[in-house]
Amino acid sequence: MATRAPRKALEAVPAPVTGARLVVEALEREGVRHLFGYPGGAIMPVYDALPGSKLQHILVRHEQGAALAADAYGRVTGQPGVCIATSGPGATNLVTGIANAFLDSVPLVAITGQVATPLIGTDAFQEVDIFGITLPIVKHSFVIRRTEDIPQVFADAFRIARSGRPGPVLIDLPKDMGVKAVVPAEIRPHVEAVEAPEAALIAEANALIAEARAPILYFGGGIAIARAERALRAFAARAGIPSVATLKGLGGIPTDDAAFLGMLGMHGMRAANIAIDNCDLLICIGARFDDRATGKADTFAPNARIIHLDGDAAEIGKLRRADVGIAGDIVQAMDLLTAIPRCAAWRDQCLRQKAMWAMDYDAPGNGVYAPALLKTLSEAAPDNTIFTCDVGQHQMWVAQHCRFSRPQAHLTSAGLGTMGYGIPAGIGALLADPSATVITVSGDGSIMMNIQELATIRRYRLPLKIVLLDNAQLGMVRQWQELFFDRNFSEIDLSDNPDFAEVARAFGIEAFTIDHRSEVAGAVARLLGTNGPILCHVRIDPRENVWPLVPPNSSNVEMMEKAR
Amino acid sequence: MSGRIQVDFDAAEGAVLRMLGLVERRGFVVSVMTMAAREGRGSLSLDVDARDPGRSLDVVARQLRRLQEVRNVSTSSSDRGAS
Repeated sequence: MATRAPRKALEAVPAPVTGARLVVEALEREGVRHLFGYPGGAIMPVYDALPGSKLQHILVRHEQGAALAADAYGRVTGQPGVCIATSGPGATNLVTGIANAFLDSVPLVAITGQVATPLIGTDAFQEVDIFGITLPIVKHSFVIRRTEDIPQVFADAFRIARSGRPGPVLIDLPKDMGVKAVVPAEIRPHVEAVEAPEAALIAEANALIAEARAPILYFGGGIAIARAERALRAFAARAGIPSVATLKGLGGIPTDDAAFLGMLGMHGMRAANIAIDNCDLLICIGARFDDRATGKADTFAPNARIIHLDGDAAEIGKLRRADVGIAGDIVQAMDLLTAIPRCAAWRDQCLRQKAMWAMDYDAPGNGVYAPALLKTLSEAAPDNTIFTCDVGQHQMWVAQHCRFSRPQAHLTSAGLGTMGYGIPAGIGALLADPSATVITVSGDGSIMMNIQELATIRRYRLPLKIVLLDNAQLGMVRQWQELFFDRNFSEIDLSDNPDFAEVARAFGIEAFTIDHRSEVAGAVARLLGTNGPILCHVRIDPRENVWPLVPPNSSNVEMMEKAR
Repeated sequence: MSGRIQVDFDAAEGAVLRMLGLVERRGFVVSVMTMAAREGRGSLSLDVDARDPGRSLDVVARQLRRLQEVRNVSTSSSDRGAS
């Protein structure tokens, strides 16, 4: 005999939900407000579920733009930026952006559509193994094999992307998983364990600091990741130790701080590299002895003992043996480093070097001198300004000549060196922090890598200010060919560039061109005074190089300087 | 440097590829591999030779421990004089 279930029990059974709806709900649960993407066949179920959600989708014009914008969004907010694309070419177009986030330890979640489960492995239309392709450039990755698992996978993906040393996480979603309706599995809570620094190691580090007479703080991108600016600044001030930064560390200590000696390394300040060469104790915090920073590794800080603090245990001892290595929470560790070195004479010596090797902004001729323009622009820009960069000579000029009061004010592709990062990063930064003034500095080579994103700026009325330094060449390559390849100039000529101001106007963006230094002040005022998007096209001397420069395979103190 | 890397891991999709790829990419040649997995747990043993003297088993072990599926890593060096 059939029996009827009680009405209450029937009501308690949740209704089945499609996988695509579960994706949208998972993103909403994680607090995602913007996702950057481009639709296509295999990801269409998710796009079908987007209307009516709390998510604002930003339709870019190339998937690489989506991934790079999400990268910048993640850097500014500290929460995973999200990008989404279809299978096949949509997914492979995300790859550069995923690698960019991996190399710079940026929290990012990339969602890719995949062909339906029965077609996987059959060379179906728009099928690629994006899970396999991205294995070396993700922190972790998932293929959705059961629709029921979608809430758990997304919860895990966001947790993994933001925790510890952040990084990109890929979720590959077969089309049938998004279409199927199921009752989802419960999300299992995850408790994050945070290890306190070992007291014995802190004591050893304090002993080394107390003994030091010529210590230097060398800090990197780990400061921004851990939001450790307060602890770093307090430590530096308490101990009275001069500091240097990597490209990604700039702003950890304000660049106009008296005891900040500048960026170190290949295009670093001479005073910074000299200090590293002469120090007796190097306190490395959230940096990784990258080759662009160290030059010839065995000549880097040759007489120094090393204290290395890092959120990632795998970095300690990877390229340089540490006398004391402290893995884990760098904020806690810095707060416990209370020893005070007797280093007043050393500090004075470093400051004298800093004054002696300060940048010179005099340049012959009437043309625009890019370092001087950037210095003027940076000084006129408000404190909430975020600079985003492309890659090349202009990237190094921004690092050398702009002021940064916090690390999130400088978004640059440091590890991967991705030409084309600047404009998508500007889009991501503006959506992450609409109150910020966002300035993208690009070059004539880089801007063409993602110039289609001018359409995205126009569509969403994003007030991005673009400074395009145009030397009609691939300037950094030309510089190296001039200096290290016997002036054998090969494939660097871009003299057939389009008229960039006309291009911008064709996208509906205000634009103007300058080529004389007397126009700089007016151009800066116009850039900063314009409410909407604007592009300032700056023609510069194609012979200008980035100075100083450490030649390849050389010690950082063997710097080449501009002839004075 | 030559030695053996032993890993206990959660047998999730892609785990073995992820571990092997990391070891090779980080400068080691795999000469012998044994692997077993059942009931969601796996063990992997790799005999490896470094491609250059700058590579360290300790460093690659720490890099393996960063992987989400990895539960435990141990290494032993087979170089003369090494412990």
